[in-house]
Amino acid sequence: MQNTTPFKTYAMGLIAFVILLPLLIHSQVLATEILIFAMAAIGCNLLLGYSGLLSFGQSLFFGGGAYAASILSINFDVSLLTVIGFTLIVGIALAVLVGFFSIRRQGIYFVMITLAFGQLGYYAAFLAEDFTGGEDGLLDVPRVALKLPFLPDVHFDTDISFYILTSVLFVLSVMLMQLVVNSPFGSVLQAIRQNENRAEAIGYRVKLYKIAIFAFSGAITALSGALYALMLNFAPLSNIDIEISETILFMCVLGGLGSIFGSIVGAAVFLLASDFLSELWPRWMLILGFLVILVMLYARGGLWASLMIMLERAKEILGIKEKHNV
Amino acid sequence: MIKLKKAIILASSMFLSLTSYAQAKDVTIYGVSSESGAFANFGKQGSKGLKLAVDAADDAAGMKFNYSIIDSESNAGKAARKVKAAISKSDARYFIGSTLSSTALAVGKEVDKAGGIYINGSGADEITGTQCNKAMFRWSAPTYGAVNASLIPVLDLHPEIKRVYTITPDYVFGEAMLNNAKIILKKRGIELVGNSYHSLKEKEFSGYLSQAMATKADLLLVLNFGSLATNTLLQADSFGMKDKMQILLVWSSGLDHFRTLTPKVAEGIYFGSQYWHEDESPANKAFVALSREKLKETPNYPMAHYYQMTKLLIDSMNATKSADPDAIRKHLEGLEYDGLTGREFINAENHQVEKYFYLLQGKKASEMKDPDNYANIISKAKYFLPANETGCKM
Repeated sequence: MQNTTPFKTYAMGLIAFVILLPLLIHSQVLATEILIFAMAAIGCNLLLGYSGLLSFGQSLFFGGGAYAASILSINFDVSLLTVIGFTLIVGIALAVLVGFFSIRRQGIYFVMITLAFGQLGYYAAFLAEDFTGGEDGLLDVPRVALKLPFLPDVHFDTDISFYILTSVLFVLSVMLMQLVVNSPFGSVLQAIRQNENRAEAIGYRVKLYKIAIFAFSGAITALSGALYALMLNFAPLSNIDIEISETILFMCVLGGLGSIFGSIVGAAVFLLASDFLSELWPRWMLILGFLVILVMLYARGGLWASLMIMLERAKEILGIKEKHNV
Repeated sequence: MIKLKKAIILASSMFLSLTSYAQAKDVTIYGVSSESGAFANFGKQGSKGLKLAVDAADDAAGMKFNYSIIDSESNAGKAARKVKAAISKSDARYFIGSTLSSTALAVGKEVDKAGGIYINGSGADEITGTQCNKAMFRWSAPTYGAVNASLIPVLDLHPEIKRVYTITPDYVFGEAMLNNAKIILKKRGIELVGNSYHSLKEKEFSGYLSQAMATKADLLLVLNFGSLATNTLLQADSFGMKDKMQILLVWSSGLDHFRTLTPKVAEGIYFGSQYWHEDESPANKAFVALSREKLKETPNYPMAHYYQMTKLLIDSMNATKSADPDAIRKHLEGLEYDGLTGREFINAENHQVEKYFYLLQGKKASEMKDPDNYANIISKAKYFLPANETGCKM
């Protein structure tokens, strides 16, 4: 879904969203988790929604990012920027590795290769107990300070300060990804998704484009994994489990494929619903499963597309003239 | 006019102090329980025990006790996030339970930072060892106690056992169980003739059981747990292994395991257990009667340990007439009390509750006195490493 909404409007909308979110849900911790998983869902959407690549290897990038940030933060006296930079490098490296091998096949074989990489990552983390803490995970992960020359260190020990940090990274990431999907590079990706053979025939190096989008996906997913570990002060083994890939995919599909904002809505609805429903009924996953079936059957563009349609209809009824396509 | 102002101020301050007094008397105990996910059954039973203890407490010592269940979703990350949220949003300070050790370790760190109290029953040695902290207490015997309290009496009962075969889940818990077993076997001069490691997703044990039979072992030592152990024992029964060797499952789920296996399979097999409802201790008799009266069911291990942990916390609040975590902690450290397994003691140095661990033996169906009388208690014992050997530094 190509978006022509002005860049400034996007930025203002995102800033309003991150300001209002903790006020509306009355929990900075849950709000932080929503932003983190929204970034991970965007990473998944870049592959599936914009490029047609269904990856079950997202847990490898998420867990890889979590472990990279944790190991660096625990063992070295480094600045937050170093941790973020290292996490992005690890995420990109893992994604390029997975992409390099998986894009050689299509369809179910591609999916199986990404799944196998995800499982390999899980068992590697499980066995590398000295580095990852194995089954117990890495405990006491410190939230490293932002150290800048000539300025005092900025610490993120409180929930609100960490939420602000996550919000800044979230807004920057979303804006960057929006630029990517709206660029000529993004148009080529959508051409590849629609007809790969035709894109290749007109001269695009499809494999390179796919590896590049894997790298973007790996980077943002690893960053979200790192933030999750820093938020929890803990990097559990479950961060690299297949269940994380499923959860991210679930959010991505629920919100809507091919839409950055859809991923944000998907993550928010999933986490708010699971938080709320799990207090009401232990079998809350049944309700979420039912919700996804409804979305698949009756709102195939996801929740975001349905919201947009409802907004359009409301505008028509109210007689408001449309200025931009959303 | 001045008098009126003074009266308003006085009335307001009285109202405020009364309100804050009432709030201080409301104590919410948070149960961390896997209500969904892979260990949902355990969590569901555990929360029943917690609720039972809270409901039975009424408003003792002027405090009104409430509970709130935090669904860990059988995921340590989720549990840590929800506990963090409860601490920051609701000023939560009192936490009970967990299924997974990784959850207990992560939650323990959060509660410690918040200056609260967290009593759990997870198995990892680190909980009262290298990762211990001021907030964390554990009511359950770790692997060392479980292996010693079950294997030693079986070896004493069967001096003919000279060869042992072990089946071990390939992760930290299994490795700890195996190491403890090896130490005992070595001391006794008994040969470990073989060991099969298996993954946590294993369903088929016939290959490992065939190997155990081929080694002509005298004892099959099963070191896995839950459904893995159920599958192992069901398949061992169908192989007729009970006639060829003794079988000991060290870490059973107690009553739940007997119900799943049925007396036909469980008969003659030895089971290690953290809890057994037929213990004659006064506290246990009262608990079983309460459970049968309120819930119409005989309590199993998850119910019992959540009940005991919650009761321990509430009793401490009553004894100190305070909800201050520091006062509760000081009261708990070194406390000896009547627990569900008999006299129990809390080691002040590592916060380990030193309780009894049972060795049970499955009964014939015809010998059962009631529908839950599946086993005889062969022995109960306490085995705990001295605190200075656990690596705990508070």
